[in-house]
Amino acid sequence: MKLPIFFKNRMTEFSLSVIFVIGFLALVLTSNGVFLSRASLQGFLTYLAVPIAIGLAQMVVLCIGQMNLAVGTMGGVSCAIMAVLMADHNLPIWLAIFIGLFSATAMGAINGALVVLTQLNGFIITLGTYTILLGFQYRLVKTFTIDKYPSSLPEFGKRNILGFPYILVVAIITAILLSLFFSRTIIGRRVLATGGNPLAARLSGVSNNRSIFIAHTLSGLLIGVASVITIASLPGINRSIGGDWLLASFAAPIIGGVLMSGGTIAIYGTVIAAGVVRLVDIARAQYSLDPSIVSLSVGVVTLSTVALSEWRRRRTERQNEGMKELI
Amino acid sequence: MSNQLLISKVSKAFPGVQALNEVNLNLTSGTVHALLGENGAGKSTLIKIITGVYLADSGSLKVEGVEKSFHNPIESTHSGIAVVHQERNLIPEFSVEENITLHNPPLKLGIIDRKERTRLAKQALETLGFEIDLTERVKNLSVAQMQLVEIAKALVTNAKIILLDEPTASITGSETSKLFDVIKRLKSQGNAILFVSHKLEEVYEICDTVTVLRDGVSVLESMPLADYKQGEIVDLMVGRHLAERKAETRRVDRNATPVIELKNLQTSLGHRNISLSLYPGEVLGMYGLVGAGRSELARSILGLHAITGGEILVNGSVVKIRNFTEALHKYRIGYVTENRKEEGLFLDFPVRKNISVTILAKILQRLSVINPKKEDDIATKYVDRLGIKVVDNNQLALTLSGGNQQKVSVSKWLAAETKILIIDEPTVGVDVRTKASFHELITELANEGLSIILISSDLAEMVAVADRILVMRRYEFVGDLDNSKDYQSMSRSIMNSIQAS
Repeated sequence: MKLPIFFKNRMTEFSLSVIFVIGFLALVLTSNGVFLSRASLQGFLTYLAVPIAIGLAQMVVLCIGQMNLAVGTMGGVSCAIMAVLMADHNLPIWLAIFIGLFSATAMGAINGALVVLTQLNGFIITLGTYTILLGFQYRLVKTFTIDKYPSSLPEFGKRNILGFPYILVVAIITAILLSLFFSRTIIGRRVLATGGNPLAARLSGVSNNRSIFIAHTLSGLLIGVASVITIASLPGINRSIGGDWLLASFAAPIIGGVLMSGGTIAIYGTVIAAGVVRLVDIARAQYSLDPSIVSLSVGVVTLSTVALSEWRRRRTERQNEGMKELI
Repeated sequence: MSNQLLISKVSKAFPGVQALNEVNLNLTSGTVHALLGENGAGKSTLIKIITGVYLADSGSLKVEGVEKSFHNPIESTHSGIAVVHQERNLIPEFSVEENITLHNPPLKLGIIDRKERTRLAKQALETLGFEIDLTERVKNLSVAQMQLVEIAKALVTNAKIILLDEPTASITGSETSKLFDVIKRLKSQGNAILFVSHKLEEVYEICDTVTVLRDGVSVLESMPLADYKQGEIVDLMVGRHLAERKAETRRVDRNATPVIELKNLQTSLGHRNISLSLYPGEVLGMYGLVGAGRSELARSILGLHAITGGEILVNGSVVKIRNFTEALHKYRIGYVTENRKEEGLFLDFPVRKNISVTILAKILQRLSVINPKKEDDIATKYVDRLGIKVVDNNQLALTLSGGNQQKVSVSKWLAAETKILIIDEPTVGVDVRTKASFHELITELANEGLSIILISSDLAEMVAVADRILVMRRYEFVGDLDNSKDYQSMSRSIMNSIQAS
């Protein structure tokens, strides 16, 4: 089979695209076209933006072979900061957004700095910061829902261009910029090199500590983007924001073809996998399935994709083994 | 004396290489049998056939007179064969007794019988005449102690045939003599021991019989060692085939300022009185056995381990190199690692990215963005220059053969236009032809003005390529020889400088 050039070395992404198209068509057909109505399509696309952004935020940390367990509370805290600043302190929207992005980036930078300073794995560090930030989030929001801020932000969230919600466009542009970062900038390449093989990277003059710091900081920035999207797409902010981000943040990149061992990125894969997960969500609403079905199927898909990619990797390695076995 | 292990006419080929060609070996009980040969002579392959890692293409293998053919290491273990590898196969976090009984823990009602385990481990260590706390974690032991635990592990499987693969490569002299006591004990108990080593003096101390392999052929088969002088054994190992390939000596200007100079360097790893000068366009060989401290010296120079005394001069001025980043970008020093898969390559990356990793700053276009065209052109340049066999520059490094991988690993340093290149064991595990092309490449690069430090434990390689040879032993230089490019005489001088130390 001859694949379009884009999909060369991207079997996972190709399969996902096919699954997405089939799933999409199935939903259209079984709903007698209702899925294509403006409202339901809008709903589908609007709530795709956050999974894409948090998937990418997890992906940049996975690409150095680490994890960020604090995605949810980092997002929750930065949403809370923005909401509180606008509602209680009457800060202009642009300034609140800037501070929201900045604070998320700073949280990422702190994660990165702690990993570098302690030389512990990001898993442990972010498990710690996750809990600390959860405390912050609860203190900031308490048990209220904060919604007394200018309505122009939620309105922005509802607007769209050619049927595409602005916030989805923001997520897609972020993905494209991220893709350029990894393929076309020195820093991006070095981060990937660290993830691909830290020993070889070090010998090649790459500072692994710097790469680790940058990956976590970038993860923070992307969570900031996800937070801005969240605040724009919801009527108000409460303490549950970010609570369901963790699994989603892993599901998109891992289904999308990112390896846990580091060194790979799959931006298109992450985006399209987020789309597939959204389709499952829609299907649940469509057929009034039990919510557990979604968790179940996302879990099964995640596990089987990982197993499949691992199997494929081992097969390639085995095939090369004979060739390399010289004395 | 009975024939424990009889190997006759065993052959094994790999694509492009006849690793073993009708090899014979007769290992009898109660003897220590030396298996000698240069790197690549086929020793490892033979051991792997005896231990069931490879299946021989032809020939027969008999254990206690019974014809066997091992399809996996377990079958070999069941026939009473145990191997103690260079790389230790112990689990650092487990205790001594857990490690000793790892493969076959004594069970009682399906769970491990701790008392029996202790008894077995104790018994095995007593057989060796060696005392150690059985509950100590292996990670807290010295290298020599680990080796003995490894041997004890072999004994609990009731092995009668014990293969020791370079057991003294990384242990000290006094530890070696303790190990020899153990070997003598095992021998007196009727075991058959195959002893693989590069150190001839040790072989003469402990071995009774000898088999020499050269290019996959057993040129001396199971003869009493005492009948042969050390020089004769060396000649057999080396043969005459290499002497014919006599290269001309190159001219190096030793009055110029050295590009790098070490003065009485000491490191935290234990290097002492290390002095050397590398002149422009010179290939300086650093010969020594595995564990002599050569790679460690290179890595110390590049800032990985602490320098505790002495000076490093680059182009005549004293410098302090803090890390590889500084070494590359400030002093233009590159290091081709001996572990190409672990440290030299990004296996999951395309060849293009493997080569460009050191020169990202040089392939930028407007807005400091990497120019893919420039990147591809540079990759193509080195793929062509080094004759790397690839489908295109986007082929993953993982899918290349060992020799081509090594060339990719070298390319990134050439692309970075380093002035000094430290090349560590470049031809381990590559076939003969690629090896020769590597030697040509090194000479060519030196002729173009690159100054090279070549680390190798392959004498033939040293003599073929180096202008001068420094001999390292136990973290010190014990010899500094001009290379006459005559293999026989050089190998003798080098052996002498090692023995004299």
